[in-house]
Amino acid sequence: MASFGWKRKAGEKVSKSIVRQFEAEAGKAGDDDDDDDEACANDEVDWLHAIKRRREVLLEDCSAKSKRLKDEGALLAEQGRHWEAIKKWDEAIQLTPDNPLLYEMKSQVLTILQEVFPAVKAAEMAVKLRPLWWEGWQTLGRGQLNLGEVDLAVRSFQVAVHLCPSERSLWQDDLAWAWRLQQQQCAVQEKKREEEETKQNLLSAPELEQDYDFESDEVLAACMAVAERQTRYEELKRTAVVIDTEGNIKNVQIEEEGSADVASPSHAEFVKARGL
Amino acid sequence: MSTQYSILFKQEHAHDDAIWTAAWGKSEADGTETIVTGSLDDMVKVWKWSDEKLELQWTLEGHQLGVVSVDISHNGAIAASSSLDAHIRLWDLESGKQIKSMDAGPVDAWTVAFSPDSKYIATGSHLGKVNIFGVESGKKEYSLDTRGKFILSIAYSPDGKYLASGAIDGIINIFDIATGKLLHTLEGHAMPIRSLTFSPDSQLLVTASDDGYIKIYDVQHANLAGTLSGHGSWVLNVAFSPDDTHFVSSSSDKSVKVWDASSRACVNTFFDHQDQVWSVKYNNTGSKIISAGDDRAIHIYDCPM
Repeated sequence: MASFGWKRKAGEKVSKSIVRQFEAEAGKAGDDDDDDDEACANDEVDWLHAIKRRREVLLEDCSAKSKRLKDEGALLAEQGRHWEAIKKWDEAIQLTPDNPLLYEMKSQVLTILQEVFPAVKAAEMAVKLRPLWWEGWQTLGRGQLNLGEVDLAVRSFQVAVHLCPSERSLWQDDLAWAWRLQQQQCAVQEKKREEEETKQNLLSAPELEQDYDFESDEVLAACMAVAERQTRYEELKRTAVVIDTEGNIKNVQIEEEGSADVASPSHAEFVKARGL
Repeated sequence: MSTQYSILFKQEHAHDDAIWTAAWGKSEADGTETIVTGSLDDMVKVWKWSDEKLELQWTLEGHQLGVVSVDISHNGAIAASSSLDAHIRLWDLESGKQIKSMDAGPVDAWTVAFSPDSKYIATGSHLGKVNIFGVESGKKEYSLDTRGKFILSIAYSPDGKYLASGAIDGIINIFDIATGKLLHTLEGHAMPIRSLTFSPDSQLLVTASDDGYIKIYDVQHANLAGTLSGHGSWVLNVAFSPDDTHFVSSSSDKSVKVWDASSRACVNTFFDHQDQVWSVKYNNTGSKIISAGDDRAIHIYDCPM
């Protein structure tokens, strides 16, 4: 059955004389095999090149069809028929899996459809295929922003700006906006962290670890320190990070009922601290 | 002194994200060699090059939105850096402290370049203006107007006579610094010019563009002296060797190429980076080349002298 080997090797790399020789030998060897007989009988048909030619035609078809599908999809997307557009582009991706345009367009439409995760996935693919294409990065950043990944979005916009700094909309709409969100997020997280830290300090205050001579002023000082920590914690509790409509970050005091709530248990803790 | 091109040192993970810019300087005071890198991770890092090794000296924080460009003053004492948030910062390399922070205004700082006397810093802006900041004053002293598009790249000629700028639409402008007049406008490339550099004798100007070509101009007559091809993608950075014989280019095709300035042939190609190579520079003698890029690595190469 060795005679099948050469058929699979489509291509011109196989020298013709060797092929002919091999064929003759194979014909002798595999007389009893029907397939072989056929191959030998059609000796005039150039099998190697016939296969090759068919492939080329197919390849061209793929890209042409992909382009047609892409255009159809774009048309559908313009008419608001988003899912149908995606279907077209998916088909096109099947035919030409390394065309970044298809992924980028798909990502945009998926974003419109609120399919945030697939949108990011598609944009990531576009960026991977064409890393120097700023529009791909912009789409990726927008997708990431929709997913709530502000830090990643800022990075994607940074890369996009670095590739094409003259694009004003990229600076003003995308980067500036994402950056502001990032700062707002930072402010909230910073506040949380601070609150947590003061709470930790309160629960394991260094003043409580040491023994005191109860007659001395040291006790008084320690109590004062603990009380101070407590007020600071309560103050933090009472304020909240508020982002107003213009996007400014403020620390605002929460209204009465909140502060009254925290005030009452504080007495108990105060006593407890003294009791130690 | 080596006789052939070779890679000497690799610093992997030099930053937490892509490295966009690097500079190599030598201190006049104590002769130490300093490398400054700037990255998408907002950090400016100062490295000491000694015993054929890189040693991290300072990590300078303060920039936001990624460091686009760094340069070292010619006496090796001060580094300047610019970031996407349009701030230019000056750093004392000895102490690692920030000397000044200048707000260049929205979208108004890209490449920074020290003047040969290190008294000024030039930076391009989005309206085609070259803004000149005083190092001492920390303020904008004056500006040169190209009446063109966003300026991506800036270079002073070493003799202090000319300033060249490369714009995003591929136009090159050459100014006479003394008079502030625009001497030449060259339509060199059809695509963004991300880097340009003068030869040490100030006779030639080499430009690198997204069209994948490197062009050489005769500065005095504004003639095109040569077009070099070889990179498979955008040419991101070019730097001239101080000995006037070679220049080096880096590209998004991940390669670093060394060119002979007289024969205009590529004499060596380094294929050591894993990703786009954003920055490439010579040291002050021309015996070493540094390159850095998106793979977060700093490479140092040995050059035959």
